[in-house]
Amino acid sequence: MKKRKSSGKALSLGALPMLLWTLVFVAIPLLYILWMSFMKRSATWGVVAQFTLDSYQKILSPTYLKVFAQSMWVALLTTLFTLLLGYPFAYFTAKLPRRARSAVLMLLVVPFWTNSLVRIYGWMILLRSQGVLNNLFLSLGLIDQPLKMLYTFGSVLIGMIYALIPFMILSIYSSVEKMDWSLVEAARDLGASAWRAFFTVTLPQTAPGIMAGCVLVFVPSVGLFFISDLMGGAKTVLLGNLIRNELLTARDWPTGAALSMVMMILSMGMIALYKRLAGDKSLEGLL
Amino acid sequence: MSLCKKLLSLALTVAMVTALAGCSTSNSSSSGSQSETQGEEKVLNIFTWAGYFPDDILAEFTEATGIEVNFVPFESNDEMLMKLQAAQGGDYDIVLASDYIIDIARNEGLLKELDTSKIPNFVNIASGFQNQYYDPENKYTVPYAAGIPLIVYNPEMVDFEITGYEDLWNPALADSVVVMDDARNVIGLTLKTMGESLNTTDPEILEQAKEKLMTLKPNIRALDYNTPHILMISGETAVGYMFTSQVVTALQANPDLKVVYPKEGLGFGIDACFVPVNAPHPDNAFAFLDFILDGERSARISEQTLYINCNSAAAAEEYELNPALIISNDIIENAEMIKDVGETASLYNDIWTEFKLS
Repeated sequence: MKKRKSSGKALSLGALPMLLWTLVFVAIPLLYILWMSFMKRSATWGVVAQFTLDSYQKILSPTYLKVFAQSMWVALLTTLFTLLLGYPFAYFTAKLPRRARSAVLMLLVVPFWTNSLVRIYGWMILLRSQGVLNNLFLSLGLIDQPLKMLYTFGSVLIGMIYALIPFMILSIYSSVEKMDWSLVEAARDLGASAWRAFFTVTLPQTAPGIMAGCVLVFVPSVGLFFISDLMGGAKTVLLGNLIRNELLTARDWPTGAALSMVMMILSMGMIALYKRLAGDKSLEGLL
Repeated sequence: MSLCKKLLSLALTVAMVTALAGCSTSNSSSSGSQSETQGEEKVLNIFTWAGYFPDDILAEFTEATGIEVNFVPFESNDEMLMKLQAAQGGDYDIVLASDYIIDIARNEGLLKELDTSKIPNFVNIASGFQNQYYDPENKYTVPYAAGIPLIVYNPEMVDFEITGYEDLWNPALADSVVVMDDARNVIGLTLKTMGESLNTTDPEILEQAKEKLMTLKPNIRALDYNTPHILMISGETAVGYMFTSQVVTALQANPDLKVVYPKEGLGFGIDACFVPVNAPHPDNAFAFLDFILDGERSARISEQTLYINCNSAAAAEEYELNPALIISNDIIENAEMIKDVGETASLYNDIWTEFKLS
């Protein structure tokens, strides 16, 4: 114990630049946003330094609550689908021979070296009415009119799932990889069916990875505004869209700031809930 | 210990911040004294949307005058005003932005009066674009380009003639209309169908406009601010309401598209150049304004930006400017400019959010 403390001291001196960095670029801006959220919108430009709760009151109006609901719904569906698609992917990847495994992980990561906006445009080319998929279906005679696939709620979900699934796969993969397979063998030896062994042994052991993946997918998905703008024809409003519109279109900085505060609190709530449920330290440092 | 650390870091932060602040003030004072002396540094800092000034025009300017151009792009008018305010009207020599934001900047005292004796071509500005609300006495700005959003439709996909905004509500257009993702323009066209002003601040009229706008939703395929013309060209939508440059681009790709000047009346906007109040190189800025106001160059600029030309000298026949980019003064007189509506902007934005959610 004593030893750790002294090494902690040495570390803290080395961490001073980091501490300063955090203070200047994280803590002060956050306080500024907090301060801004209690100010009043100026009639022309900027804010008037006058304390008011108007912005928070505005958030409670039905329109804004609907945006929250829609955001949460999209985030929930995104999390669910990334989990359903990502779990088998991660599970079987972890069971591959070493070389094949690193190749698969590489293939998973490589597209993410490209700007996400460019990749979303790729999806638009695939899905639009004279796009790759529609032309293919038409030439195969499967359909006789182009399907309206782009600019729907479904296309927003596809974009979201596509953008966030690596986080899910990588979190689950890391816990499947660390898993003690001899426990599964033991369960099988004692007569459990493959499914029973999976649900009673494998799933609980990989729960931390699932939880981490869910948090890593759910939290950012309320803010990825460009996906709903591009793939949903801006007809799906997420919290991220709302904040951007408040700041740039309505020039209502206090409301934008208040929305940001609420969003941050929600995200932290999610992470706190996760820590409570998982009771482990795999997300140490996030909160 | 930890308190000590916190205090130390706080002290360091304060030191850093004051040092930074010191930097910026010494900067602005040095640039201020520079502008008073006769020989200005051969530099011009331009601040506008990326690509708005054609590259060949900028290169030609450098070649003709030896003045190096620094191009600083911004994403939006609001970003421009934020940065200009942070620079206290300094740092930039030429800013090109939209009318309403210029109006705000002028009221904030961020604009420098133009020295028209150094801009002989100032007389070329077409009268329809002068004495606008953002610069009633033509003291601060040079109009660069004007935009009038218009309706475009694909006659192959629409079996009736579209003449105005009201036709966008036609049930035959279900799920096949694209409009720009912009509260003011689209609520504006709704107001026009009701015979109201684009700039109304009356909450009751806006409430009625909201009711009407909601009934447009079933026809909306997508809302797109930057690339609505692509949806028209690719056949994703049958009808679109979009800005001038997008209309012209769509027409170039598909000449069969039809353009409609809506009968209910037009809305329009002007992008204009100004010189910030503490511009480091104002004389270079005036020289640049004179340079782009030349008729031949102005015509060349419009051919590239695809916005409506504001220069009477550019309309001369020998420059062969695309007639779609020249607009007669009487059309402008009947058009209404979209102005800043102050606090009501929040109401417009809320209506827009509700429209998207419906």
